[in-house]
Amino acid sequence: MSEERPGGPPPPEATLLGKPVGRRIALKVLATGVAAATQAAAACSPLTAETEQEREVRLLAWREYIKGNYHFMTDEEKAETINRLERLAKLQRGVDVKIQTTKAQPGVLFGYAFNISKCKGFRRCVEACINENNLDRRAATQYIRIFEMEEGEIDLDLADASFEHEVPAEGHFYLGTQCFQCADPPCTRVCPVGATWQEPDGIVVVDYDWCIGCRYCMAACPYWARRFNWYEPEVPVEELNPNQHYLGNRARKKGVVEKCTFCIHRSRQGRLPACVEACPTGARVFGNLLDPDSEIRWVLAHKKVFRLKEDLKTEPRFWYFTD
Amino acid sequence: MIPIRISKTMLCLAALASAGCNQGNLRPWERLPPGATTTPLDSTTKAQNTSRQPGVLGAVETVPVVGWTGPGGESLSVDRRTAAMSAGPSRQFGSITLTIALRDSSAGLTQYPCTACHQGRKIVMENKRIKDAHQNIQPVHPKQIGSHCATCHASENVELLALQDGQRATMDQPYRLCAQCHFAQVAAWAGGAHGKRLDGWQGRRVVMACPNCHDPHSPALRPRIPFRAPQIERIHSPIPWSPAP
Repeated sequence: MSEERPGGPPPPEATLLGKPVGRRIALKVLATGVAAATQAAAACSPLTAETEQEREVRLLAWREYIKGNYHFMTDEEKAETINRLERLAKLQRGVDVKIQTTKAQPGVLFGYAFNISKCKGFRRCVEACINENNLDRRAATQYIRIFEMEEGEIDLDLADASFEHEVPAEGHFYLGTQCFQCADPPCTRVCPVGATWQEPDGIVVVDYDWCIGCRYCMAACPYWARRFNWYEPEVPVEELNPNQHYLGNRARKKGVVEKCTFCIHRSRQGRLPACVEACPTGARVFGNLLDPDSEIRWVLAHKKVFRLKEDLKTEPRFWYFTD
Repeated sequence: MIPIRISKTMLCLAALASAGCNQGNLRPWERLPPGATTTPLDSTTKAQNTSRQPGVLGAVETVPVVGWTGPGGESLSVDRRTAAMSAGPSRQFGSITLTIALRDSSAGLTQYPCTACHQGRKIVMENKRIKDAHQNIQPVHPKQIGSHCATCHASENVELLALQDGQRATMDQPYRLCAQCHFAQVAAWAGGAHGKRLDGWQGRRVVMACPNCHDPHSPALRPRIPFRAPQIERIHSPIPWSPAP
């Protein structure tokens, strides 16, 4: 197939390993080489063709990937990861979020009381919780469940948590559940990596960047208070709550567990959780158990209270009471 | 009974503060998690507690509510005053007086002040309902006791509320009127089990007054359609979902 070209050496593209080759073979080799080069370039595109912004995202994400558990971070490390997370939110989603690392106030232990006589099942708390905590809109994640119970009945298995009719219904009362922030939480014991723990003010939190998604905590919780992200949570940018806490309502990832934190970004600043603030009937009481003048202490002292599954000795800091 | 219980509670806290780390006598929910400090309440809180004196009724100060807006996103201000309980509730409370910052309840009245219309006109309140007076108000509330306008409204001054013992209360003190019958509810309201708190769990206590939720002429809450969460879009279905709440 090779034939000598008259008039000088062959052109460079028509040689293979120093030997002159024919046009057909040369074209074939050339085509193969170009295709391979293109594939290689595509495979290595972050190294070759990334923009400045992509490079920054890649470096920030890598630093985030190798950081430690929040529980053991120093204040400087916390500040660094906050800077990275806020920068990532700006680069990836174009939102200006403010992530706080507010610590627990000394002498504060949060307690919650729920008046089953007052709750009418309006579910404004659920709405406020979704908006406040940036819950996944796509999977319709909800921390709060409102059970419609028949009067005289206390079995939650027989209750309806998906009512859509006008409330309050005749002959029914309403009982809401969420994370009870147990004093002896079984969910934190079973975590194999220490990604969930109880804070000094009683709030059980999750480090979303340390969670491996094994869901042991979900199996351990007797109240079904934890939620798993099967997907990357989707929140419309215009509805995103930019006031966030590292252990609370910041962006979660796919494959991690999340839970109610009594709105840790609000309650640690002296504000009420969103569910308490949204309740139109005043059925929810929130306060400091160590303050003898607090409303929660008054309720515990003067009302008949009960808790769910007390025989499990998880000691929830969440009481139900009646008028 | 209630003063005794409260003093018990305060003794409990004194014991807690003095015992420090000794958590053996505490009930399980009072035990602090590891790492928590048992710092007693700061001195400012104590000063506030000791400065509570049986005070006169009336506004002490008007302060804006931070972090909570009223219906329609309008900002609120509250009058901070001492809620001195007369007659009925005083039996419930004994010697306890409570400092409660009340939301200004007369701001939401549509036909207030009354003198805007009733200027220079004598108002006759009889023991029957006048047909052409305030047709927008259809009172159903204290019908069990055969009440009429003058049962709650002062005849000589329509901007005052008439209490059964002859005293007068302003429109900003409706709890004094309600407390005459609903003393249990007012006791719970003053203590913290009834009524909605507005301004955070810490610091100033701002609670709703009775008419902020209950229309005095028809106090029952009306039924509503509950909030319905956004529905799940099952686009790619076979992936297992967390069970719907």
